[in-house]
Amino acid sequence: MDPNFRGDDDHHDGTSDATPGGYPQQRRPGEVFFTCFLLVASAVLLNEAFGISGFDKLSAPGTVPVVTAAIMVVCMAIIFFQTIRLPKVTGESIARDILPWRVLAFVGFLVGYALAVRPLGFLPTTALFLVFGIRLLGRGWVFSVGVGLGALVCIWIVFRIIFTVLMPPGIVPEAELVQIIRNLFSGVR
Amino acid sequence: MEALSAFVTVLAQPQLLALVALGTFAGIYIGAIPGLSVTMAVSILISFTFSWSVYPALALMVGIYMGGVYGGARTAILLNIPGAPSAIATALDGYPMAKRGEAGQAIGVSTVMSVIGGFVGIAVLAVAAPLVSDFALRFQPRDYMFLAVLGILLVGSLSTGSLVKGIFAGALGIAIGAVGRDPLTFTPRFTFDLSLLNGGISFIAVMIGMFGVSEALLQLHHVDKKAIRQKVGRIIPSWKVVRKHLPLSMQTSTIGVTIGALPGTGGDIAALMAYDHAKRVTKNPERPFGDGAMEGLVAPEAANNAAVGGAFVPMMTLGIPGDAVTAIMIGALFIHGLNPGPMLMIDRPEMFWFIVGALTFANIFLLIFGLTGIRLFTKLVEMPRAVLIPLILILSIVGAYAVNNAITDVYWMLGFGVLGYFMRHYGYPLGPVILGVILSRLLDDNWRRAIITAREDWGRFFDGVFSSALSSVLLAAIIFIFLSHTPPWKWAKARLFARPKPKE
Repeated sequence: MDPNFRGDDDHHDGTSDATPGGYPQQRRPGEVFFTCFLLVASAVLLNEAFGISGFDKLSAPGTVPVVTAAIMVVCMAIIFFQTIRLPKVTGESIARDILPWRVLAFVGFLVGYALAVRPLGFLPTTALFLVFGIRLLGRGWVFSVGVGLGALVCIWIVFRIIFTVLMPPGIVPEAELVQIIRNLFSGVR
Repeated sequence: MEALSAFVTVLAQPQLLALVALGTFAGIYIGAIPGLSVTMAVSILISFTFSWSVYPALALMVGIYMGGVYGGARTAILLNIPGAPSAIATALDGYPMAKRGEAGQAIGVSTVMSVIGGFVGIAVLAVAAPLVSDFALRFQPRDYMFLAVLGILLVGSLSTGSLVKGIFAGALGIAIGAVGRDPLTFTPRFTFDLSLLNGGISFIAVMIGMFGVSEALLQLHHVDKKAIRQKVGRIIPSWKVVRKHLPLSMQTSTIGVTIGALPGTGGDIAALMAYDHAKRVTKNPERPFGDGAMEGLVAPEAANNAAVGGAFVPMMTLGIPGDAVTAIMIGALFIHGLNPGPMLMIDRPEMFWFIVGALTFANIFLLIFGLTGIRLFTKLVEMPRAVLIPLILILSIVGAYAVNNAITDVYWMLGFGVLGYFMRHYGYPLGPVILGVILSRLLDDNWRRAIITAREDWGRFFDGVFSSALSSVLLAAIIFIFLSHTPPWKWAKARLFARPKPKE
């Protein structure tokens, strides 16, 4: 097996733990920044871990957190020094290979969804997400609206009616809707 | 007799049999559709089935697991896109076979070999688990601690990636698992004085984020990629072909079940190791490896399905997951009030035999569904990513929300999804993170028990380790993994095992 084989010829994006993404001997765009971020986050965790119970007893509640955070800091320090010494991958850019506009747009959609789902409710927020999401991925408006709303109805029936998952109702009178559907079916019987 | 009755529970209850069949069928498609993985499906599913009884929930998950590990092979063969991580090695020779017009034969052989591998894995599970479980009763807390560490380290060490990144990922998982109030002393840990962190971070939110959201975001890179479809001829392979490759499939099934049974390592690593093995032992393949060698298809397919049975061995006997999917299944058992480990095998042996039965029937369904329905398959599998990706993201959100009806879990899931996305890009394995989260409590509890038993004294602790053969072997294995990745070891290995250069 070629050690550089990553299961994906285009983006080296880590489809599997057996063949993680990245390049063993080269540094991808943004890798140093990500490594720095993890190093700082690990240091903050280590500082927090020391505040748990100190290190007075080996069986103290803070022992495993301190050791774990210390391992994280040491690993990230090693990875950092290894990464900065590696040559840059040629022909890759952040905008094309790491954070293309579609990924950024979807992360924005997801954050927007998480913020809007409570006040607006599951049905309208999901409808907007699906329709605009499918449209953003290159489909026409008719297809996006048709498939988006069709998928929403399927999801709602499966999860709200069958699995009885209670999502935030928001501005939609969901409980009444469910009752109407139940009445319809009980009427049929 | 009780074991037999639990084994056939699936057969006795049509609802359970239907769920196993449905799970296997769905698993084949989930495994086959690029962008949907078994780990993702099971982690999303756990949040919807937690209100079910344990048997139906397990029947569905077992079916999806068995079908999903196999399903990836079909797209690997037909489209050169491994539908699941365990099918990466399958694409290397499966797709060249399809290009030669042998797609039907490749699918048929991969199905039969997957089923053979699956049965080997199940047989090993049925025989080995009760023995391991009896042995595990003698395990000391320190042994569990060492096993947890070993599981987290093995993923990093057996994959082609960096061990340091694997260790970091495992430590990150343990830290995430430690967030919240300490269950023994109620001391807040990693809570940053925020009350919302007192209850800890939902492991389901972490799993769905890492395996669902990050995978969906990665798939956004491939929205415009067009797959070239191949024609499919006769699928059912001839007995001659099966018999010819039976010895290799048995060898690689053994590799698969062993790798699967090692804590933390699953079908994807097993398939790659089996492929390497096939390359070494096959002296004169009809076609070279990488150009459509049948052996390159047989080896990974037998191994990855054998790894399924193997992965259940440490899960059922020790409570330590064999791979990421069994890590999630441990979570499912926790939710249903069960605690996997040697005591579960003693208190609830019917649970173990039920799982063995469900796996067996899932394997039979795999043979049926694997050799039929190819026309429906080629239509469904080409579901446009433009529809699939937004759907996966919505299912992930609903799944994360459903467990606690808390929007905070959705925020955690999104955060871990973005973190997982970058980790994948930069070569950090995600399996150890999930393993760390699941094993965090087990590791912490057993460390504290072990060191309290040793009266907080390192000397006594190591006396205990060296006076027990098992503890010594486990510690030696951990040290070996570290040493084998150091420059002096690599230098010594190169000197000792170097082949002499032929004289010019």
